[in-house]
Amino acid sequence: MRTIHYKIKRFDGKREWYQDYQLQYEKGKTILWALTAIREQLDPTLVFTSACRHAICGSCAIKVNGKSFLACKTSLDEVLETFKSDYLVFEPLSNFEVIKDLAIAWEPKMEKMKQVKPWLIPSNKGSVERGFIQSEDDFHEISSPTDCILCGVCTSECNQLAVNDGTYLDPFILNRAYRFSVDSRDCAPEEHIRPVYENELWKCIHCMQCISSCPKGIPLTDEIAYLRQESIKMGEVNNQGAKHAFAFYDDVRNKGRLNETMLPIKTDGLLKTATTKIPFALRMIKKGKINPFHMPKAIEGIKGVKEIYKYAEEVKHS
Amino acid sequence: MFKYDVVVVGAGGAGMMAALYASKDPSLKVAVLSKIFPTRSHTGAAQGGINAAMGYRDNSDSAEKHFRDTVKGSDFLADQDAVEFFTTHMPELISELDYMGVPFSRDKNGKVAQRPFGGASSPRTCYSADKTGHVILHALYEQCLKNNVRFHNDWYLLSLAVDNGHFEGLVAMDIRTAKVHAIQAKAVVIATGGYGRVYWSRTTNAINMTGDGTAACFDIGIPLKDPEFVQFHPTGLASTGVLLSEACRGEGGYLINKDGERFMARYAPDKMELGPRDLVSRSIETEIKEGRGFGDGMGSYVLMDLRHLGEEKIMERLPQVRELAMDFEGVDLVKEPVPIRPSCHYMMGGIHIVDHKTCATPIEGIHAAGECCAVSIHGANRLGGNSVADVVLFGKYAGQGAQQSAKKRSFTSTAKLELEKIKWTEKFDLIRKKKTGINMFEIRDKMAETMWYNVGIFRTEDEMKQAYYTIEDLLEQFKDAFIGDSSESYNMAFINYVEISNLLKLAKAVTLGAINRKESRGSHSRGDYPTRDDENFLKHTLIYNEGEYYRLEYSPVTITKYQPEERKY
Repeated sequence: MRTIHYKIKRFDGKREWYQDYQLQYEKGKTILWALTAIREQLDPTLVFTSACRHAICGSCAIKVNGKSFLACKTSLDEVLETFKSDYLVFEPLSNFEVIKDLAIAWEPKMEKMKQVKPWLIPSNKGSVERGFIQSEDDFHEISSPTDCILCGVCTSECNQLAVNDGTYLDPFILNRAYRFSVDSRDCAPEEHIRPVYENELWKCIHCMQCISSCPKGIPLTDEIAYLRQESIKMGEVNNQGAKHAFAFYDDVRNKGRLNETMLPIKTDGLLKTATTKIPFALRMIKKGKINPFHMPKAIEGIKGVKEIYKYAEEVKHS
Repeated sequence: MFKYDVVVVGAGGAGMMAALYASKDPSLKVAVLSKIFPTRSHTGAAQGGINAAMGYRDNSDSAEKHFRDTVKGSDFLADQDAVEFFTTHMPELISELDYMGVPFSRDKNGKVAQRPFGGASSPRTCYSADKTGHVILHALYEQCLKNNVRFHNDWYLLSLAVDNGHFEGLVAMDIRTAKVHAIQAKAVVIATGGYGRVYWSRTTNAINMTGDGTAACFDIGIPLKDPEFVQFHPTGLASTGVLLSEACRGEGGYLINKDGERFMARYAPDKMELGPRDLVSRSIETEIKEGRGFGDGMGSYVLMDLRHLGEEKIMERLPQVRELAMDFEGVDLVKEPVPIRPSCHYMMGGIHIVDHKTCATPIEGIHAAGECCAVSIHGANRLGGNSVADVVLFGKYAGQGAQQSAKKRSFTSTAKLELEKIKWTEKFDLIRKKKTGINMFEIRDKMAETMWYNVGIFRTEDEMKQAYYTIEDLLEQFKDAFIGDSSESYNMAFINYVEISNLLKLAKAVTLGAINRKESRGSHSRGDYPTRDDENFLKHTLIYNEGEYYRLEYSPVTITKYQPEERKY
């Protein structure tokens, strides 16, 4: 008989430890099945949360071998195949406060989410008595973002949150801000977007972990790109993130390639670059990694690049 | 001691709607207790939609037609004054939900889209793709955040304190600290959902649908109305009970037994797999009972085969179903048949409501809304699309009712409340320190097994009596139950212990109601009494808990417009 070994991270409010359990292998089971079997057959003191067991309530996300999954929706066979191992480590989601064992606290996250006013600010085109008229296309704008089940997988996988002091907003919070800012029934998108901008919107590092792990396939990073564009439209151009984006935009338009030497100066300004980046740059020069006197020429197909820019401008304004 | 004007127990659609409405009066202090984080509530699992006669898709639709369909669907056991109130007020509620931000699917004119549903004479089910309950639940939670509704998450209701008919408050455990708290309150709204988990693994219900509020009301003398009416869905996944949509049969799926026969030929030679829900459910169970199923015991099943539809059609029409079968049964139904078995889906019965406009129970100050109670608008059988409608509409009126109760009543004695708190504190200590005894999960599984086989889809006197004795025996064994966790904080085993205790009490009531209803009506189908008997049973069952002894009474059904007639579709 094949035995699967589970190592589960335990926490009782004071003490942390890893505990080993073993279950016979069974075909076609889920991670949640394993958790339930361990609890009911081996150890009733094990705490985890679950409810609907079909991927709509969002209760049961945990980390398996360092990667976050919704336990009910995740096939044990697939996980065993992915990790090519019969030894699995279960841990609570990262970037959350742990209450006990695998159970995490959501209240601090909800307090944080309140900043983006995660509710409809109804426009005067509708009323409580008659509701709204909303086109099918406008509904489709909000259909995918309202799939979010608040499971926390995106937060757990977010590499910015892992190093951030807690100011940066969790991906699911950015999703809520996005969801209301694009809702045709909402009259104040800026009220949802401004707090996002003010809480380090530009710090997303584009690692794509949130989008690739989301059990509902919500395009979180596309939403973040949209929120950034909107913040620029709101006039928030005088910041590191927007300047960095404009530096890319201008360089590519002018030469078809980046000017790596000028990029930090354009992003941070001469003074900040001089005070923070010079020792680093000198080390790079010494090792032959950069040549400060190299000014890249325009690429061969620069005409085509300019055409693309022109076309993109036209599309934007049409 | 905590002190609130209104406490709402449960944070699903009914609970949050009640909280929003009770807190519209800023002079009242309102709090919501929930044993889970609010957006985990089972309202979120509702897929298909919410019924309201908007008339957007079919302008001949009306609240009157919705009223008639609901009464007919209920097999004439619904209270018609309550149903009329419900169907009349539903359209305005859809607009209200729209205004709150619920993302409804839209029609060509930009109005809320509507689709046809079983038992409805017009397409009146408003929806948001196949996640209607989910988006309503989240929109209500967003409104609660906006209005600063106070939540006590991970708080578990233990009991209600009532002294001589006077409601004093409730006792609850803060699960995280395992501390037992007394909460003084002028009014309470119970909104704790159904108790489909009396069938444990054979239900579409979430793991925590254990009827905590229903049992708490039952314990203080509020009767349980019509508990014998349990709706079963024919195509639950075999190993988990997770629902596979009716569309599988609609698109032409076959049901196959272990001899490879399409056995529906025996039961519905014309309609085959497209027979009505209750008939198909009974046929599957007959096959299993007569040894033509696969597997054993609670793990028995038949197969649903969709392969002949071809990959293209399956991908186009049933993509979600395919995903569910893959994720939760490990079967790709393009390549293999999927194991299925009927699953308990919904409880029509529950806490006895005496006034549908305020959702009041017989005890002043105690209100209830949603699946935990019976208003009764579903009678003997609920129509699809009427459950989410029920929770939001009656949640609203229960909230208003509780607000009125709170204004009328004053804080008085807390003697009984304090006694209850001491009782539970001592009980927690006693149970968690217990070193040996009978495994509570085994008791739970035996309950589910006897309920499934003997008080399930088809019922006879002898089998139900067998179940009744088994449940009595399990209740006796439960006195020696062992939970295996002595933790002083976050003791989920203790919470499960109280949940199983609640389920046992309710299972006994379901069985008693079923034994005594000697007719077949709606979901209650008896082999020994196969027809409806209006002369003797056009009445509500009311079961009172008097300690170990349950007392049975009946009360008349309110009939205003529609006289009972044969229910034909």
